[in-house]
Amino acid sequence: MTTAPHTRSAVPPVAVPAPASRPAAPLLDVRGLTISYGTGRGTLRAVSDVGFSILPGEVMGLVGESGSGKSTVAMAVLDLLGEGGRVESGEILFRGTDLRRLAPAERRALRGDSIAAVFQDPFTSLNPALTVGRQIAEPLIRHKRLTPRQAAVRVEELLGEVGIRDPRRVAAAYPHELSGGMQQRALIATALGCEPGLLILDEPTTALDVTVEARIIDLLAKLCDSHHLSALFVSHNLGIVNRICQSVTVLYGGVVVETGPTGRVLSRPAHPYTKGLIAALPRITAERRARLPSIPGTVAKLSGPPAACVFAPRCPFAEETCRSHPQEMRAEGDGTGVRCWKADALATTSWPDEGGTAPRRGALPARSAPLVEVEHLRKIYGASTSILPWLRRAGTVAVDDVSFTIDRGEVLGVVGESGSGKSTIGRALLALTEPSAGTVLFDGADFPQQVRRGDQTLRRRAQLVFQNSAASLNPRKTVGQAMERPLVLAGRGDAEERRRTVAGLLTRVGLPAAYADRYPHELSGGERQRVNIARALATDPEFVVCDEAVSALDVSVQANILNLLAGLRDEMGLSYLFITHDIAVVAHIADRVLVVYGGTICEEGPVGRVLRPPYHPYTEALLSAVPRLAEDGSEPPRILLEDSALPPGGRGGCAFAGRCPRKLGAVCDEQAPPVRETDQGHRIACHIPLATLAERAPVFPKLAGGDAAAR
Amino acid sequence: MTAASPAPRRLSSRRSALPVSLVVGLVLLAPLLVAAFAGSWIAPYPYDEMNIMSRLQPPGPEFWFGTDEFGRDVFSRTLVGTGSSLLMGVAATALSLMAGVPLGLIAGYKGGRAGEAIMRAMDVLMSFPPILLGILVLAVTPPAQWKAIVAIGIVYVPQVVRLARAITLELMQEEFITAARLRGESAAYILFHEILPNIWPPLAVEASLRVVFAILLGASLSFIGMGAQPPSSDWGLMIAEARPFVEQAPWIALCPGFALAIAVIGINLLGDGLRALLDPRNTGSH
Repeated sequence: MTTAPHTRSAVPPVAVPAPASRPAAPLLDVRGLTISYGTGRGTLRAVSDVGFSILPGEVMGLVGESGSGKSTVAMAVLDLLGEGGRVESGEILFRGTDLRRLAPAERRALRGDSIAAVFQDPFTSLNPALTVGRQIAEPLIRHKRLTPRQAAVRVEELLGEVGIRDPRRVAAAYPHELSGGMQQRALIATALGCEPGLLILDEPTTALDVTVEARIIDLLAKLCDSHHLSALFVSHNLGIVNRICQSVTVLYGGVVVETGPTGRVLSRPAHPYTKGLIAALPRITAERRARLPSIPGTVAKLSGPPAACVFAPRCPFAEETCRSHPQEMRAEGDGTGVRCWKADALATTSWPDEGGTAPRRGALPARSAPLVEVEHLRKIYGASTSILPWLRRAGTVAVDDVSFTIDRGEVLGVVGESGSGKSTIGRALLALTEPSAGTVLFDGADFPQQVRRGDQTLRRRAQLVFQNSAASLNPRKTVGQAMERPLVLAGRGDAEERRRTVAGLLTRVGLPAAYADRYPHELSGGERQRVNIARALATDPEFVVCDEAVSALDVSVQANILNLLAGLRDEMGLSYLFITHDIAVVAHIADRVLVVYGGTICEEGPVGRVLRPPYHPYTEALLSAVPRLAEDGSEPPRILLEDSALPPGGRGGCAFAGRCPRKLGAVCDEQAPPVRETDQGHRIACHIPLATLAERAPVFPKLAGGDAAAR
Repeated sequence: MTAASPAPRRLSSRRSALPVSLVVGLVLLAPLLVAAFAGSWIAPYPYDEMNIMSRLQPPGPEFWFGTDEFGRDVFSRTLVGTGSSLLMGVAATALSLMAGVPLGLIAGYKGGRAGEAIMRAMDVLMSFPPILLGILVLAVTPPAQWKAIVAIGIVYVPQVVRLARAITLELMQEEFITAARLRGESAAYILFHEILPNIWPPLAVEASLRVVFAILLGASLSFIGMGAQPPSSDWGLMIAEARPFVEQAPWIALCPGFALAIAVIGINLLGDGLRALLDPRNTGSH
């Protein structure tokens, strides 16, 4: 965003001429908001004394991790607090009127009209039984009293405004016929319909792929600008906040810890929590470190007003005063505030760095035979080779002719968006799914074939850590029961010995041994993920597939888990296949990386090489879509991909041809791209000659030096 | 043992969190259970003693809930009939669960041809009207209560199979099942140790409803002379026999109807309470 809020707010919202110097009154002014939830076991304080204001035309980011109360605040503004949620005190002033004093009918009239919202999940926000056009028309008919015919015309205008090229077709479509990006555009169109003054955006891009997210964020930034919209942008993603918000409010444990202009807060954070949050973020441009700085511990739940600094238990700078006195918000001038009495003293102190900046470890072990060898792997779902011709089906190609190897002690990253086949590759490697063609060798043995013959011994040596830490543990088994089972199957020791092993494994992943008697729901997300890792390690495997293992975790917890995985690799010489959509995580932990699209490998090589030109056009688009902080360097010209509704995977041609911004022509659609090697095993599958690809400017010019080239 | 400290905590919290519905359900069912076992001793009159002089008496101090067309005491008959009625419901439900749950588990887990075969067989079974199916089982041999129980049990197998299969299919998508396959568990272990404990709570609710339907279906069978035989007393039979007199003597149906309602509510609450009690998420810190 280039326009500063103050220049825009100088334009009065009404036509009456006003002195240009007078600052506009805030559009939304939240004061002393306290919200609690009644649970079966007493009340829980979700939000304590939260205050902030949004000027006309301003986009404010509300940032925090899970449990920070950020969505609760957004829902309170919309009067959509769930069951048990209650605003205890405070004011929510919208255009000067306290929304809490309005009758329910009056608030309802505002909602969807003057205050509109876009939520996280477009898939569940749209009613599958109604056409998209009808759902966009709904608020127009209700609030603006348009006739259905007038509304239909307006719907097409709105769809055009949110960048949909074929509004008529999309209006007539049902939600399932549209891609996630198109659905989210339709929801934005719905929100814009009544020309609201305030938009509530609750993680509007979190459920989308990175390249689609980049386009939606661009669209939102443009719309806020052209419609002079104010927005409350709820997000956990600092990079996106940096891109779209003029100011930011950081919540921790239901308390505002810091607020101010985005540039200041994100580049010179004043509160220790903000410092920790930014430090814990894996960064593409950061020096490669052995460990990420992390925030220990978990968020405490409050039942009443905070009696001390909410962050003190996790703060490395905490003193006695912090633990005995609740902190006051201190104004710092230029609209910033911080809730920490030591903020001035800590102004130049940064978050402690655990791992140092030393290279993460020594050279890779001497090249012996690779641990995992995958050759010409193909997986087709839903194919049928019936003798009856009308029952024959070609099926969907999930993985198309993929070959690669993983060395002992190596971390191979697999980066791709949804539908790229990355999870299928992981499952095929663990013989969880039968390959349609090709071989998967584990330490020289044909893994899928052994499993087919009923030999499960290789299972002990290759394990999986899941994304969803809750779903991967049986809710009816204690942690100990879950972890003991692989040992029982492997016939290791008697009950007493197994109990000791379980205790040892829990200690190894940094949990108290007494957790063996807890049920999964009694643990936090990060703790459950540690249990998952401990269970995977029970039989001393050599190879672990991490399938989006840190994607569902908060930034501070993610750093902890990444450090744990890195530590286990160094101690036990583990190899990982690290599947993720987050290229920054791969840049932090992986040695080599595969970039996959539509079931094929676009580019592969050492991490440092893949992050530098020459790029495969898809890698380049992926990198340019990564939201960045100021110190990552200026925004490059973005490469925006069409969020095509067509499933990727060209028959015979390049899988990416349908969305490629640098498509050469028919050759891309018809012929498989040649695989060309640059150096150090860096390969690109593209029809464009390497020399031409190399001409592109690096997406991250500030990429930390030398070590990538050396590896 | 390292586990010594947290274990008592969990037990105590489980006890303190005894679900209200479970307690209320038990309180409602307790008198019925007493009646089921001791009905003939506590009944004020023998259940089959006819007295033409006092036929169709309205409720009063002598006959608390009135008398039927043969002058039998409605309250005594209801008390004595409790055992037979509850047995009908509970035994038939148990039977349908015993047959239906394994079939449903297999159909959901195996899928493919085996699953398809089971489900189509169930469809065939379901396409018969329940009464007709009961009659089919009972018509060929002389009626007896245990045959009625078997018939009702069979009638409800398809519903149990469908429910068990639906939950199994849903659970098969869960990652902890993948985790079990990943460590090389056998199908039997996954079915009975991973899936079954998770199927049990919704089945408990389902079963409590089934008991009620089974009692009512038993009543229908008795009504057409296929279940309990007159003059033995059974709630369903009593309600059926009261039908011709519903305008002159509505109280005949009132007492067994009331007992049936208490059983229905009690069993439902018990099922819901059991579900809550069995869920580990209801204990501990939340």
